[in-house]
Amino acid sequence: MYGSLDIATSGLVAQRMRLTVISNNLANRETLLDAKGNYAPYRRQEVLLAPGDPSSGREMGVHIAGIEKDDGELLARYLPDSPFADAQGYVGYPNVDPVIEQMNGMEALRAYEANIAVVEATKSMISVALQMLA
Amino acid sequence: VSDPLGLIGLRSGAAAAPGMLHRSAGSAKSNAEGPGFREMLERELAQVNRLQEDAKIAAEDLASGKRDDIEGVIAATQKADLAFRMLLGVRNKMMEAYDEVKQIRV
Repeated sequence: MYGSLDIATSGLVAQRMRLTVISNNLANRETLLDAKGNYAPYRRQEVLLAPGDPSSGREMGVHIAGIEKDDGELLARYLPDSPFADAQGYVGYPNVDPVIEQMNGMEALRAYEANIAVVEATKSMISVALQMLA
Repeated sequence: VSDPLGLIGLRSGAAAAPGMLHRSAGSAKSNAEGPGFREMLERELAQVNRLQEDAKIAAEDLASGKRDDIEGVIAATQKADLAFRMLLGVRNKMMEAYDEVKQIRV
């Protein structure tokens, strides 16, 4: 009876996680150091989604299979005075493109809204069925 | 003739229609199998109660910071609400039927 409610909830959780990772990407756009203070430019991350729910064994719904690092090319900036500059004077900056992140964020928001619409539709379906009883 | 309570066959007498009596005895036996209305209602009550408990625990966990998925908490609350309204609908329908029976003159 509550199948579609649970499925929509799993979609909501997944999309919120997507937005969390996108906000982490945007926040670390200029991050050059790792936690220990060594030069290790931040790599953009992406959420990997998979169908089903292993925690409850259900086949429907969606869950987060993992968070993948995007090992794409770093963005080179010409900063010859930087301590991290290479021989040509370039510093590798994180491969985070704010435009792409913004588009992904909008998509996650719309997908979240779509799942909310499913919840509302399920609720009104059950309410209409209850009207038949009363 | 539909005979949900199995009374028609009993009243018709053994000599008049032994076949019919036999059949009604058989159907009464099959009616007695399976969970009764009382067991069913108790089971449903327990399930509604469990959903209410789930929703309560989820709301408490959210408020105390044990979990941060507000969607799961809202889903649990919605489930409890819908289940309770369903139970209330069944209860109202039952009371309606009871009132209807009370009106019958004997």
